[in-house]
Formats: sequence, C-alpha cells, structure tokens
Amino acid sequence: MLSTREIKQRIRSITSIKQITRAMEMVAASRLKKVESRVLASRTYTEKMHSVLSHLVSSLESTHPWFAEKDQAIPVIKVVLITADKGLCGAYNNNIIQKVVKFIKEKTGKEIKLTLIGKKGYLYFSKGRYASLIEKYIPESVEKLGYSHVLALADQLIKGYEANEFGELHIFFTKFHTVMQSFPTSMRLLPIEKGTFGSEEKKPGGEYIFEPSPVQIISHLFPKFVETRLYQCVLESLTSEYAARRVAMIAATENAGEMIDELTSSYNKARQAAITKELLEVVSGAEALVR
Amino acid sequence: MAKTFKLEIITPEKVVYSDSVQSISADGTEGSFGVLADHAPLITELKTSILTVNDANNKTIRLALDRGFLEVMANNVVVLSDACVTEGDVNVEKVSAEKDAAEKTLSSGGSAEEKEKAQAILTRANTWLKLANK
Repeated sequence: MLSTREIKQRIRSITSIKQITRAMEMVAASRLKKVESRVLASRTYTEKMHSVLSHLVSSLESTHPWFAEKDQAIPVIKVVLITADKGLCGAYNNNIIQKVVKFIKEKTGKEIKLTLIGKKGYLYFSKGRYASLIEKYIPESVEKLGYSHVLALADQLIKGYEANEFGELHIFFTKFHTVMQSFPTSMRLLPIEKGTFGSEEKKPGGEYIFEPSPVQIISHLFPKFVETRLYQCVLESLTSEYAARRVAMIAATENAGEMIDELTSSYNKARQAAITKELLEVVSGAEALVR
Repeated sequence: MAKTFKLEIITPEKVVYSDSVQSISADGTEGSFGVLADHAPLITELKTSILTVNDANNKTIRLALDRGFLEVMANNVVVLSDACVTEGDVNVEKVSAEKDAAEKTLSSGGSAEEKEKAQAILTRANTWLKLANK
C-alpha cells in the first residue's frame, strides 16, 4: 500500500489534470458553438446550389466532361484527407485515417496521391509505409482555414483535374451529425457522379431561360460547386473535431473525478491505519511499563 | 398590394436575406434586369454589383454582391453569392485598405493570375464602397 504522502501527491496531480480537462472541454464547447452555426449556414448554401444545379442539369442535353469517367485512362486517384491538428479528441483522427488506409488497400494497381489537411494525418502518413504517397501537406491549422484558402486549394485541384493529372478526386472528412455522433465519410468529388443530380424531379413551371447559355453557366457553376463542397467538408470536419474533443474531455473529467474519489478513500484508509498502528504502539508501550 | 414572391440570398457564411418581396433588380453578366412575381423560370449569372430589393412593405433595400447566380423558379428566387453585405454592414476602413492593396498589386505588375485576383478584389471593393457612400 502507498504511503499517505504518496497518495496525497497523486490526488494533487489528478486534481490539476481534471482542471485542465475541464478547461479544454469548455474551450471546445465554445468553439463548437461558433463553428456549428457556420456549418449550418454553409449547408444551406450547398443544398441550394445543389438544387439549382439539378434544375440546370435536368434541362441540359449535352453531358459535361466532368461527368465522364476517366479512371481507366488515368489510374491516378487524388485523395484529400481532413484531420485535426491536435489529439485528445477520442477516436476522431484514427477513425478517418483508418478509412483512408482501407481505401488505399482496396485500390491496388492505382496510384494514390494524398493531399493532407491537418497535422495528425500528416504525422501518421509521413512515418508509415505510405509516406511516398503524400503529395501535398497544407500546414495551416484547420481552424484557421478560411474560405479563401479552401478556394485556392479547390482551384488547384480543378486545374489538375482538367489537365488530366488525376482521374478521380476523393475527399475523406468527418460528417457532423450531433455532438455525440459524427461519421467518418468519403465522397467522390470528381468526376461528379451521374446520380448526384438526376434524382430530383422537374418542377412545374416550364423550361428555364438561361442567360448566358447553359453551357457557360455550368462551366462557372461546377467549379463553384466543387469549391463549396470542399469548404463544407472542412467545416464539417472542424465541427466534428470540437464535438469529439468535447465528449472526450467530458469523459476525462469524469474519470479524473472518479479516480480522485477512489484515491481519497484509500488515503483515508491509510491514514486510519497509521493512527491505529500508532495507538497500538502507544498502548502496548504503556502496558509494558506497567508490568 | 402588389403580388409578392420569396427571395433568399445565401452566401457560404450565412443566409443574408430571406423574406417576401415585390420586386428585385439586378445586374446580370448579360445586362441588368428586374424580377417581379410570376417571372418565368430563369437561371443567370450575376456580376459584382448592387442588388436592389423592393420588399413587401415597399421599402427599398440595397445589397452588394460579389458575383453569384440567380435562379427564379415558381415565385422562389434564390441568389447564391460568394459574399454579400447590406448597406449598414460595410466596413469602410477595411474595404478601403483592400482596395489600396489591390491597386498597388495592379500597378506594380505581377503574374497574370495575381492581377486577375487583384482586379476581382478591386471591383468588389468599389462596389462595397459605392453601396456605403450612397
């Protein structure tokens, strides 16, 4: 059994850990609140754009090159992975990284190029046997990535796609559902999947007037669509990260509390035992004197 | 009262405006146009420009848009734009600084891409300021 002094020390250190985890939980909670409103606003935008595009595509006869599958001709897959910069957020990073690893294993025979957002993903891939796959790492921290950063990245990706540098573009991110629930998700951004817009029924009201021509509009709208989707993914991931961190820190704070309780009770026991022992010594010493 | 229709102006950051309105007039890439209730279905691109809205109470609201798309469908108008500010929201100091920086880039020369970006920023800043000054 530990001495009372040692137990006291442990209680003290766990108490300070608890304070830290509680503070981290609060920080995550306040950041979560901020970013949550952003993700919801951006969702509306993406959804509206999606519906506009559906209308547009349903009235278009010709197919856009962005729908064409060209993975046969160009066996290169570009993967964008969004992770956190920091740990201490439960299984958040690991879940999405494992999804990518699984994807890489499935796609044998194709060349995979990784673009990494978030330090944790970079640390994982730069050490393992997949280090050679990393093509680009974006060192800015995820929370500081603004719309303009994402725009620049999307621009590069679109240019690369049009220049036939890769045949497919996949993005791995964590979709935010609720604070307790978020899902590691993968999505193919390019080429755009045929079913993406087809399902929506034509609304009544007749044919659209296009100004300028539909082809021109679509050639502007598609890049925008990819940009907003990418931005949406970054925001979703960021929100999930804060949510995951908050949940992890709540659990940590609770565990610390439990540990302190346990330690306090064993401290009390140890103290009681020491007192009893001392008493016994005094009594038996006194008895020895009497005789 | 004139017939109204629903207008939504949405940017990636937030829903800027969502209400019933009587009419709007906007600058498309092909020229300016107006929309009243029961307009035919339309999809068009917008320039960086000022959008004027006549709301249900006949009040005029002006908003500056940084490019965008406008869809009219069954008395629902959706405007999707990169950025949008209302009259009171323009941060004149910040926008002026942006404008100066863009002008500097344009005059100092640089790659075509940089110039294109600076030009876009300049147009935006000018539109923002135009909205604020009137």
